[in-house]
This record gives sequence, structure tokens and C-alpha cells, in this order.
Amino acid sequence: MSVATSAAPSKLKSFVSNQQFILFLVLLGMIGIFTAFNRIFFSVSVAGNVLADWGPLVLVALAETFVIVSGGIDLSVGSVCTLSGVVGAFAIRALTEGGMAPYLSLFIGALVCIGVGCIAGVINTLLINYAKLVPFIATLVTLGAAAGLALVFTGGGPIAGGPSQAIQLSVPWLGPISTPIIIVIVICFICWAFLHKSRFGRHTYSLGSNPFATRAAGISIAKQTAKIYVLSGALAGAAGMFFYLRLGSGAPSSGLGLELYAIAAVVIGGASLSGGSGRISGTVLGALILTTVTSGLIIVGVDPNWKQVVVAILIAAAVTIQGLRRSEGKAS
Amino acid sequence: MTEPIYEVRNISKKYGAVTALDDVTMQLYPGEVVGLVGDNGAGKSTLVKCLSGVHQPTSGKILLEGQERHWKSPHEALEHGIETLYQDSGLAPHLSVAANVFLGREETVPGILGKMGFLAQKKMDVEAHQELERVGIAVPQSNRSVSQLSGGQRQAVAIGRAVAWAKKVIILDEPTNHLGARQAGEVLQIIKTARAQGLGVIFISHTLPHVMEVTDRIVVLRLGKVVKDAPTSEFTVETLLGTITGLITD
Amino acid sequence: MFGLSNMKRSTAGLVAVAGATSLLLAACSSSDTATTASSTTAGGACQGKTIAFVMGAVADPFFNAMKVGAQAEATAQGATLVWQGDKEYSAATQIPVLDQVLATNPSGLVLIPTDPVALQAGFDKAVAAGIPSALVDTKVNDISKAVTFITGDNTDGGTKAADAIATAIGYQDGQKYKVVVGLTSKTATTNVARLEGFQKAIAANYPGITIADIAYSESNSAKANTNVNNWLTKYPDLSGIFAIDGTNATGAAAALQAKGLTGKVALVGYDAYPDNVKLITDGVFTALIAQDPAAEAKQAIQSICTTIGGGTVTTKEVVIPNVVLDKNTSAADLTKYTYVA
Repeated sequence: MSVATSAAPSKLKSFVSNQQFILFLVLLGMIGIFTAFNRIFFSVSVAGNVLADWGPLVLVALAETFVIVSGGIDLSVGSVCTLSGVVGAFAIRALTEGGMAPYLSLFIGALVCIGVGCIAGVINTLLINYAKLVPFIATLVTLGAAAGLALVFTGGGPIAGGPSQAIQLSVPWLGPISTPIIIVIVICFICWAFLHKSRFGRHTYSLGSNPFATRAAGISIAKQTAKIYVLSGALAGAAGMFFYLRLGSGAPSSGLGLELYAIAAVVIGGASLSGGSGRISGTVLGALILTTVTSGLIIVGVDPNWKQVVVAILIAAAVTIQGLRRSEGKAS
Repeated sequence: MTEPIYEVRNISKKYGAVTALDDVTMQLYPGEVVGLVGDNGAGKSTLVKCLSGVHQPTSGKILLEGQERHWKSPHEALEHGIETLYQDSGLAPHLSVAANVFLGREETVPGILGKMGFLAQKKMDVEAHQELERVGIAVPQSNRSVSQLSGGQRQAVAIGRAVAWAKKVIILDEPTNHLGARQAGEVLQIIKTARAQGLGVIFISHTLPHVMEVTDRIVVLRLGKVVKDAPTSEFTVETLLGTITGLITD
Repeated sequence: MFGLSNMKRSTAGLVAVAGATSLLLAACSSSDTATTASSTTAGGACQGKTIAFVMGAVADPFFNAMKVGAQAEATAQGATLVWQGDKEYSAATQIPVLDQVLATNPSGLVLIPTDPVALQAGFDKAVAAGIPSALVDTKVNDISKAVTFITGDNTDGGTKAADAIATAIGYQDGQKYKVVVGLTSKTATTNVARLEGFQKAIAANYPGITIADIAYSESNSAKANTNVNNWLTKYPDLSGIFAIDGTNATGAAAALQAKGLTGKVALVGYDAYPDNVKLITDGVFTALIAQDPAAEAKQAIQSICTTIGGGTVTTKEVVIPNVVLDKNTSAADLTKYTYVA
């Protein structure tokens, strides 16, 4: 039985409608506009600032990418980031007071942060798989609990007491790039490999695309969901450690609200909130665009509240382009 | 006659107060095509899902090659060689043809990367199209998502996937949906080929002439019960229709 | 999805939602009811009474230090302290908390309004209900009916900050200098007063200093850090930073350390967070303006107890003076004025 298919679109058309290409153009355009208003914008120093903001944002956005591609949503990533940073700060302080070598204490602190994130992911999984709450509600619950616990644990103020190497690590040495940013870039590559080249990634896409077909094909949705939300929590935890290195302390306010920008980054990057589509490269560029806007508005001297307007426009544009891409029919 | 390859005995499926299947008994022999017919709401899709492991029956037995089985998930049924084509919802629209054919059965690259789950994508792309061609479906290789294919093309891919992987039993729920007359004819040919290969085939359709053409036996469901189970030669299209609607009763 | 019977599923779901909701409410309201055993020393007007504090952001050691002072005074008076607030420093979240507290009919109220206009109605409602009400730290516009209004001297704090920056940068007439100011809120009276004090002092005494930029971080240290990072890039010749509250101070200190600019850019902060006090000796902070939140709380409760007991409070507006902590401050004094967490 043969099935004829229509002619493939011209190479140029598919290249130009490629979401990543458009995002890259938007990014270049923004850099150009901000530089035109204030030449200082085009500098290693600003690039360093943009990357420092991009670090934690892209980590939670990567988390959100896996979740959104699978057809779910994780509203808890920001608060889990905060709570992880706080618990990590306590651990680092205790270890430092106990006389542990600075880099070792920071390394263990990072593991603690990621561990707390994983625990949050497990809680989300239990709420979704066993209590049968929809992801929106389940992760909303975790959001509240995590944010509340961060306040309860800290009594309100930041938890310092760690080694001074923490802030020193955040100093850029490879141009605008610091060691934590190098680690983040490596994490981006690892996420890219797992989402686009592995069985876990493919099952993530199929879950978002058609949960029934996924189950009918013999894939355990419960197991896949667990892996995705625990991964999300772990990345949020890593973001918490990132904030610790930047501030030299675990603050109970650092990651709050980050989830909305994470979701914005994923949507601007081309994912659909109903699942089945989205790419790591899109998320990475989306997050980079958002932090460029933040720095740009400060350098140019515009009321920073304009940032929300700009983000809204970017989201609207991204959704429109996604609609256009549908007629091109790229497979995930 | 040999023993049945797949059999259900006294299967019931209740959802609270609603009884979807009521004491259904049915056999399928290897190298046989059994037609499963009935009006909307007769319970055909529910029976299909119990046979494929998507649902668990409330009571009754399932036997595969004489051995009692309790499918806890579709994965178990698939592992034992039972392939199913579902009405409408068997493909993931965002994935490519090859990705869909290998869904749940992906091949990984050799070595440690393979253990971590990294996919042998090019290999699967080539194999998918080879397998589909082997069972008589020709879809040009491309990276486009399945959502870009027409309804008929999607149906062809889904049928091809089920037939290519089937080892013992193949269940086809409304396979000629969305197909034009010529392509429907080709599907019926594929069914005859599967039968010739010794598979047991369950064929659900409401296109009665197709049922008459390709099946050896017909099981009629009405309101969750089996009302007739007889060789196809004993029916005409009119009597079959009558049995389905309840106009003709035994 | 498949396999769990409908009955089990809905019960499990209900239990989970109920549990989740209560967890969510607990987290959001961050309430903290401190019950005190009746004190043997008291016997005064406040014995057995409930005094409620409704404050701004719970996430601020300034308020935490205030709570420590409030609790101590409440215990001394034999009263029960109710401490309520929200994690956000905003009127939208504080108003419902205030309503909730008023519904429990406390014997006395101490309010730390996040906005002078928005919280006026709630404050007046408390007064109309016959609850002796005081204001601490920030105020509402009309304080005529308040038992008392106690605040740190915010204007003076701004002035002292200006002096500290000028000294640190070696101000000389005729030279030009740039500074920036990081605040939390545009409307909170403390922020406004400190900024005004700063601006007036600069205009009067240090005309060579220009305030190049002002930004708001809404109590988020990470946002403050981002602001300062970008200012340090935008103004390569920046002389000083005035961080108007604790969270801004934390964010700014981290930024300076990361860019290796400690000592090169003068940093004056507000509020003696323990970790920031340490950084004075490290040279990151030029000076910290310390308030006395415990004293503010103590005085507020005392005034309320006097009112409950039928007395009159003569000190309607009390300004608790600030202390400037810098590298010249003795270790003993540093410890004395550090906020207790």
C-alpha cells in the first residue's frame, strides 16, 4: 500500500522559519538596540552580568522544558530553588564551622541542594501519580510548601557563614564566563543529549504528544512522570546552589517568581504548553533573551517594569511563530 | 482443530453501575480471522482494550496459548506478542514515522551510551521503513511529524506498525477508517497475508461487506453480551446487520 | 489512571487536596502564635491580654529582631504575642492579614504598614473597634488616632549614610563623584524618608556628588545583586553605593566582592544583619546604619499596655536614634547593635 506525501518545503523556507534562527536574530537585534542607546552595553562586563543572571534561570528553564514537553507543568521550580539554596547554605555553614576545606564544603553543599530538589521532585511525583492531582495543582502545593519552609528555616534573613571562595568562584575568568557558568553550559549539553537523543527524551515527547499511545506502546507513564519531575527538582536544586555562589549566602527570596520566567523562556523558545514540542536550544536562547532584556533596561536606564511588557510581546510573537511552523511540519 | 491461540472466558468489565462487558466468551485460533462486530456502545472497544492490556477485566479469564494471563499493562501483552491497532489514537502526532514505529521498542546504540538509553536513530529510521514496506506499506522516509500525514497515511503507518511487530495475535480496531476504497482493499489484503502467516487476527469493523469478505468467523456483540458466534458462511450482510441491531435473534 | 478503582481514587484525591490546601495555607500565612506562660513579674494592665503585630515581609531579619524584642516585652507584661505577616512586602498581601487579625479581636494592635495610603482604612477600622493601635517603623498618612508611632530616625539614617559615603570617598569640594541608591519599595515610608535624608544631605553638604541611579528590588537580594552588577558596568567611575535596607545590602556586598571592587567602591548599608556586620571588619562595608528594632517593639507594647490600663501616652511620635557601625566601632558595640535573629 503506498501513500504519497506532498513535496517537502524549500530548504530556505524551512531554515528561515526555524525557531532557533529567529530567536538568534532577536537576540542580536536586542544587543544592537541596547548598544545603540548606550555603547557600554557591548562589553565583556555586561556579558558577564547577563550570563550570571542566565545561569540560574536557564537551569530552571531546562527543568521546565522536560516537564512542559511531557505535557505537564512544574510551578514549584522557583521555590524549590530557593529552599535548596537555603538548606545548602545551612549545610555549608555547618561544614565550614566544622573546619572542612572550602571547595569540598561547597561541593557537598551542591549535592545537598540537588538532593533537596530531588526530594521535592519525589513529592511532586507522589502527588501526581498517587494522589492523582493534576500537575498544576500538585506543583502549586509544593511551591507553597517550599517557599514557606524556606522562610521557616531561615527566620527571614539570608544564611551565610560559608567560605569566601563561594563568591570568588562566581568571578568570570574566561572572558565573561565564570566556572559556575561553564558547569551550566555543560548541563545544557547534557540536557540536550537526553532530551533529543535518548529513549528517555523520546518517551518524554510521546507522553506530551499522546499519553494514550504512549501507554498503549507499553511505556510506563508513572515511571516516566517520576523521572521527569525528579529531574526537574534536581535542576531547580542546582539553580539554588548557583544563587548561593553568587550571593555568598542562601536567601529565602532568591528564586521566588523564577518559575514564571522559566516558563516564559520555554515558550519563547518554541514549546507548546500542551506538550509534545520544544527544544533545549530554544530554551537556552529564550533564557538568554530574557536576561539580556533585564541588563539592557538597567544599562539604558529605562524603568525596569518595562521588562514585563517586553516579555509579553516576546511570548506573543513566539506563539505566533509556532503556529506558522505547524504548517512546515517539523518532527520533534 | 488446534487449541485457541487467544481466548477469553466469562469476561466482564464494570464501571461502577455500568456494565460494558457482560460474561463474554470468545476464542481465536491461529491462522484465523475473527470479525468482531456490534453497534456503537456494544462493547467492542472495551473488549479490545481488555485483550491488549489497557484495561483490566473486572472478572473472568484471559488465556494465551492455553495459559492463564493477567495483563497488568499493555507492556505485558506486547511482550507476549499481541499487537493492537486502536481506533484513532495509536500514534504520537509530534513524532516521526520511524519514532512511532519503534515507540516503546527503541533500539539503542551499542556500548555504555546504549545502556544510558541513547538511540540508534539512523538505524531505526532505515529499519522502520523497511519493515513497513515488508508488510506492504510504502511511506517515503522523512523527518516530518506524523501529524503532517493525511488520515489515511497515518492509518497506514499504524497498521503497518502493528503487523510488522505482531508475533502471535493482531487486533485491528476499525483499520479501514479514513481509507479510500482502493487502500481499504489493500488493508484487507494485508489481513489475509497475516492470516496466511499463522497469526490470529481479530478484525473490528462496521463496514459489513469487508467483514464478510475477509473473516472466517464472526462474533456479534450487543450491549456487552455475545449474541452470536458463528462461521462467516452462515451470514449474509442483511442477516448480519439484523443480528447487530437485534432485529434478528436466535 | 487505569487500575485504581474510582472510589479509591476520589478518596485519595480528596485527602490529598485537603492536606495540600492546609499545607498551602500554613505556608502562605506564615503565622506564628507565641503563647506565653503568665509571668510572675507582671500583674499590670496587659496581663492575659493579646497583642497582635501585623508586619511587612516576614523574610527580613530586621523584623525578626523586632519579634525577639516584642516577645521579650510581651512575656514581661504577661501578655500573649500574636505575630502575623506575609512573605511579600506589599499592601495587597498585608491587608487580608490585617483583616484576619482584627477578626480575632486582639486587645492591642501594632501595625507596620507596607503602604501609607492602602493600609489607612484597615488601621482606622482597628481604632474604630476600640483596639489600642500603634504604628512601628513605617506609618500610615493619618496617625492622629494612633497610640504612638515609633520609628528609627529614617531621615537621620539617610543623612548619616551621606556623611559616611562622603568620608569614605574622601570628598573634596570641586570634584565630581557618582553614587547609586538601591531601595526595596517606592512607597514604604522608611525607604522614602531615608532616600530624602540622603538626597538633602548630599545637596546641602556634598554638592559634588550626583545620584546617578535609583532602583527597587522588592526585598529580593538576587534582584539587588543584578542591579548593582549592571550599575558597576554602567558607571565605571562609581564612587559609592547606598543600600537602603538589609536585602539590598546583601546583594550589593556580593556584587562588589565578585567584581573585586571592595574598598574601591564605598558601600553603606542599612540594618545590622549579623553577616553584614562581619563584612565591616572585612572592609566590604564602609558603614552600616543600625536601627534598634527590639527597642521599637518594646516601646510600642509598653505604650499599648499603658493605654489599656487607662493611662495616657505622652510620647506620640518617638524616633529611636540610629547608630553608625563602621571600622572604628568597638567589637563590643558591634555585638551590642547586631540584630538578634
